[in-house]
Amino acid sequence: MNRLIRLLLVVAVMTGLTSLFLFGLLRGSPDRNVPSNLLGRTVPDFDLPLYERYVAEFGPRLSLAAAEGRPMVINFWASWCGPCYEEAPHLQRAHQEYGDEILFVGIQTQDREARAAGRAFVERFGLGFPNAIDDDSRVSIAYGLFGVPETFFVRRDGTLQYKYVGPVTDEIMREQIGALLR
Amino acid sequence: MSRGSRAMRCGAPTLAVAAVALVLAFASAARAQEQPLDPRVFEIGRELRCPTCVAESVSDSNAAIAREMRSLIQEQLDQGAGRGEVLGFFQERYGDWILLNPPMRGMNLVVWLLPVIAGAIGLLAVAQLLRRWRSAAEAPVEVDPAELERVRVALEDHSGDGDRP
Repeated sequence: MNRLIRLLLVVAVMTGLTSLFLFGLLRGSPDRNVPSNLLGRTVPDFDLPLYERYVAEFGPRLSLAAAEGRPMVINFWASWCGPCYEEAPHLQRAHQEYGDEILFVGIQTQDREARAAGRAFVERFGLGFPNAIDDDSRVSIAYGLFGVPETFFVRRDGTLQYKYVGPVTDEIMREQIGALLR
Repeated sequence: MSRGSRAMRCGAPTLAVAAVALVLAFASAARAQEQPLDPRVFEIGRELRCPTCVAESVSDSNAAIAREMRSLIQEQLDQGAGRGEVLGFFQERYGDWILLNPPMRGMNLVVWLLPVIAGAIGLLAVAQLLRRWRSAAEAPVEVDPAELERVRVALEDHSGDGDRP
């Protein structure tokens, strides 16, 4: 009997360890809901230069003050990032739909001295919302960015509601913007 | 000698000198861009995870973000910040994830304590095994007296056989 219990114990431990190993091996792509240390906290301010096409409306530089009390959707992208090209039309569509109530901001980051490529990116998708340049990636570090693209949904009071890792979809935008406007 | 070939002969060394000067100018410009970093930057960078890399520290990675983080560490050291303050700066933004040595609290305790617990269990198992072997060796061997007598007789018979011419 004692021997049977011991055998069962060994089998249980081995099954547990094997399951853990297989779970780690097969869980696939990383979770899109990567927790941010900024959740619920005020997001850091920035002061970044804008691409020329936005200067007439916003001035040469952009900071959080441009939101004027509105919620914000801050999207970090890079000209070398494939998924950023995938999500840009979704962002533009959301901007067209909610642009009066929410300030959309694009920040080109982790992409030093790639102004020409960045300019081509905003022109290609006709991005109507302001796109700024984080040449030395300092804003990316301040926001605790892991990579690009990442999108931050910021409430009216400047606190972070949600961070999405990877290319955003219309569904994610609707869900999160709905929560921002509630 | 034609004027063209004389011009080529004069032009070749000039071009070579110009090329060398150009290369030196580029090298010097590149050196000027790569500011030498304090060795402490790499010491601290070894404790930080590169956010866009797989299993690489900020010191080991050549990713753009790792280079920017190294230059940010240098700036903070220049401003008089210590190791703890620099690590705290990144921890505040990225959470404990950014630290390659996770702090000993919460779920992280499992990472630190599990090897110690596993080692202790292993040592206990080995000690138990040794104790069992030793007690088995020290235990008196019980022999059936009848069997003992049979062996004794057999031995006597055997030695008797040996005495025969």
